[in-house]
Amino acid sequence: MSDRVLLASFDHEDDLLAATEAVRQKGWRILDAFTPYAVHGLDHAMGLKPSRLTWVCFICGMTGALGMLWFEHWTASITWPIDVGGKPWNSLPSDVPVAFEAAVLLAGFGSVFALFGVSRLWPGKKPKVVYPRATDDRFVLVIDEADAAFDVPSAERFLQEFNVVETMERTQ
Amino acid sequence: MNSPQLAVAPAFLRKLMAVVVVGAVILGVTAVVSPDRAWANLLLLSYYLITLGLGGALFIALTNVCGASWSVAFRRVPEALTGLLPVAGVLVLVAVALRLPQYAWHHHGHGGPGTFWFKELWLSSKFFAVRAVAFVLLWIVLARILVWNSRRQDTRAGVSNVPINTGVSVLFLGVFAITISLAGVDWIMALEPLWFSTMWGVYQFSGLIMATLAAMIIACICLRRMGPLEGIFTDEHLHDLGKLLMGFSCFWMYIWFSQYMLIWYSNIPEETSYFIPRLHGPWAPVVVGSLVLNWIIPFFALLPRPSKRSESIMLRVCVVVLIGRWVDLSVMIFPPVIGTTPLFGLPELASVAIPCGLASWLFFRSFSAAPPVPAGDPDLVASLHYHA
Repeated sequence: MSDRVLLASFDHEDDLLAATEAVRQKGWRILDAFTPYAVHGLDHAMGLKPSRLTWVCFICGMTGALGMLWFEHWTASITWPIDVGGKPWNSLPSDVPVAFEAAVLLAGFGSVFALFGVSRLWPGKKPKVVYPRATDDRFVLVIDEADAAFDVPSAERFLQEFNVVETMERTQ
Repeated sequence: MNSPQLAVAPAFLRKLMAVVVVGAVILGVTAVVSPDRAWANLLLLSYYLITLGLGGALFIALTNVCGASWSVAFRRVPEALTGLLPVAGVLVLVAVALRLPQYAWHHHGHGGPGTFWFKELWLSSKFFAVRAVAFVLLWIVLARILVWNSRRQDTRAGVSNVPINTGVSVLFLGVFAITISLAGVDWIMALEPLWFSTMWGVYQFSGLIMATLAAMIIACICLRRMGPLEGIFTDEHLHDLGKLLMGFSCFWMYIWFSQYMLIWYSNIPEETSYFIPRLHGPWAPVVVGSLVLNWIIPFFALLPRPSKRSESIMLRVCVVVLIGRWVDLSVMIFPPVIGTTPLFGLPELASVAIPCGLASWLFFRSFSAAPPVPAGDPDLVASLHYHA
């Protein structure tokens, strides 16, 4: 990985999708893509692996449910048993609502904070806008100029097929 | 769109009919030997069938009201499901007519304090019968209008149909919400007239929508393999139907548990009378089985994304859900009618086989009566290119 990247911007999402697919098939390394809104199918075109966030969510949810069930059982029937309405101390039905809420809470918070962590987002972080018009009307593809063999003029010619509007080089 | 019209081999349809006839003969014989058991199975299978048909109309109405475009490509599937309504309606009415005297309140005690006068009025035979006929007729008529309007659109392309669709759908949803609650109360909850649950209506709805989605998914996958929906029903549609199925499976469990927990907590004898025979005794494993089939298996099986896009996994889960629906209904219906021991013999096998055969037969007949894709719908293109 070099520190030079090629930014290619497009006017239409279809052009971006087609270019992304073609660039990936050519074997060039796609670093990222910036779009004004979520473009369906872009993750597939970029060849991204399925998100691992689902596993974080599942594990957090199970931790919440099982942890809370254990905690309720421990408090209500082991350390300080309380008779509620003559029910047995270890009454599973009364534990379910709180366990459910804890599962939802942990799964939700866990996913959001895991996403923040992975995307390196935190309060007060200075935004690094790679290409301002990507927040407005342009669709931008960031390609890694991997080595000396990467020829920028020929890459630009290749991208012309996909109606590229502007290309520029950047150092990271 | 040039999709091949569905051509089902007549031999296959004859086999389906043969299954239904054999099942009907078994139930007929049972009616002589053990009338209560035959009747319980008749009510179960006719209620199963009518709620599937009703679910088809519900799906069309819901998507119409939302202005949903994703489901347009396979809308003929829920439309064909409504083809179950007339036959299932007749079966339900036969079941109700056969049991009308037992449904009546006066067999369970005359007059009395509190709301007894209302129950006496509500469950009087005449009112009960008139209501049953009215529910069935309303469902058939409104579903027919929805389907008629959709088929009319095939030749009159454009948006002129949309206001009628939306209007009828809104009307249907209002009627549905009230009638399914009352029908469930009348035909099933009134089997135990001293017991009541205010969650009953929504409990009926949750089972209905889940079974309908499962049936629709199976039908869509079969039709895709057979040809009419090939290239039209995509993995994106399958994925979204899978999400809905999983969501409503959780909804069913949520409703089931809410009903159970409130009754368990307050522990009032007039309320616990429903759960005691079902959870203390031989019915308990059946109840646990219904929870496993309707929630535990669908939830964990459908949780990963790839399984909602896999034909084979979805088919299996949907079969599990349809079996779960049967078990769930049997837990509602059998204990008060046939007693405290669950029975599974030939009559029950018949009441499994008849819905399978009859629903498939009616579905294929209804589906082949119209072009397999609503070609005149303005949202069809959006649906074909839909991306979940």
